[in-house]
Amino acid sequence: MTLFAVEVSQLAEVVWVSALAGLGITTTFSLAVFGTGRYLEATRTGRRGMALAYATLAIALLLVFAGGVIWGVQIMLSK
Amino acid sequence: MLYIIVATALAFDFTNGFHDTANAVATSVSTRAMSPRVAVALSATLNFVGAFLSLEVAATIAKGIVEAGDVTLLIVFAGLIGAIAWNLVTWWFGLPSSSSHALIGGIVGAMVAANGPDAVIWSGIVQKVAIPGLVAPVLALLVAAMSILIAYRIVGHQSPGVVTRGFRLGQLVSGSLFSLSHGTNDAQKTMGIIFLALVANGNLASTADVPVWVVVSSASAIAAGTYAGGWRIIRTMGTRIIKMDPAQGFAAQSVGAAVILSASHVGFPLSTTHVMSGGIMGAGAAKRLSAVRWGVAGNIVTAWLLTLPCSAAVGAAAYGVVQIFGTGTAGPIVVLTGLSITLALAFARRASVAGEAT
Repeated sequence: MTLFAVEVSQLAEVVWVSALAGLGITTTFSLAVFGTGRYLEATRTGRRGMALAYATLAIALLLVFAGGVIWGVQIMLSK
Repeated sequence: MLYIIVATALAFDFTNGFHDTANAVATSVSTRAMSPRVAVALSATLNFVGAFLSLEVAATIAKGIVEAGDVTLLIVFAGLIGAIAWNLVTWWFGLPSSSSHALIGGIVGAMVAANGPDAVIWSGIVQKVAIPGLVAPVLALLVAAMSILIAYRIVGHQSPGVVTRGFRLGQLVSGSLFSLSHGTNDAQKTMGIIFLALVANGNLASTADVPVWVVVSSASAIAAGTYAGGWRIIRTMGTRIIKMDPAQGFAAQSVGAAVILSASHVGFPLSTTHVMSGGIMGAGAAKRLSAVRWGVAGNIVTAWLLTLPCSAAVGAAAYGVVQIFGTGTAGPIVVLTGLSITLALAFARRASVAGEAT
């Protein structure tokens, strides 16, 4: 179906892909900041197990964030 | 004539760079993620690099907007003048507006003046300008608003120092991605125009590769424009719409990059200026509606609405003048001289007003 010369399905895809990518990248990075903050706090109070868990969470989420950035560069390269 | 077109296209590329610097650096500068000079230097470098990432110039800016067979060098020249004039006017007032829409407007105006309204594909205008112009800011505003609410929820009870440093670091990455994407997209427009001029002049076959000097000069012009920095627009986007904290800056910038690249991936390119402005308003409005200076936002939206008709009017007027002098170089030289004199008078008046104020 077209609306004002624009494919509605394409427009819907733009909306959901953009929303997913935008929310995903911000949430991922916010969780990485959260993990880093908790890791520093746990290190200060000597809770080594918790510190390790939060450090792992922060690193994993930073890797996901980096993946998002690489995906973005790949889109630029494939245009 | 070829030299004039190349020089005008590079001048447009330069205005495109300094006009759009704000999209990439305004939030980083206002949240102090980077110093202003470092931010524009990084953005200029990444714009330069970005221009080399893709050389797909087959789809020129006017494709699907005007009848391709009717495009002449004089129409391209007049269109560029319309776009440059609009970029300079909006920069003068510190208003972010789309350089692509200005270029489309300029070419449409020149085309109407040359061949009448039938030479314009009006459905293409709706498809490539009107709908994306509506979708881009609204989508970015909503996604940025939701993103900042989620971000505040996640980091709300963390130490402010960690949160500020974390999001400032994130802005380095999201700002860099934005600049790289801008260089890839926007330098292409100039390369396409110079390539078109070379083909029309018989220097190149339409199937030839883009000459290296075209790529290097386009990349250099957009990078130089970015480094020159449109500080008036940076001030508007960085501090006059909302006063941002690093989390808001990061949300606006990363949502902006995500929306632009996702839309590009789906094949529905959006204006970086519209997306970034919408993202900044969304990140501000979600915290507190009154945090957004809606008067400034209204001026920006008015500038967007005026972009196409105003650049078209200047493009049409420029074409009207050049065609009086025939198809030679006299017309373009007269128009460029007129534009230069107007600019000189505007700067002289500004200097005298500033002198009187002090």
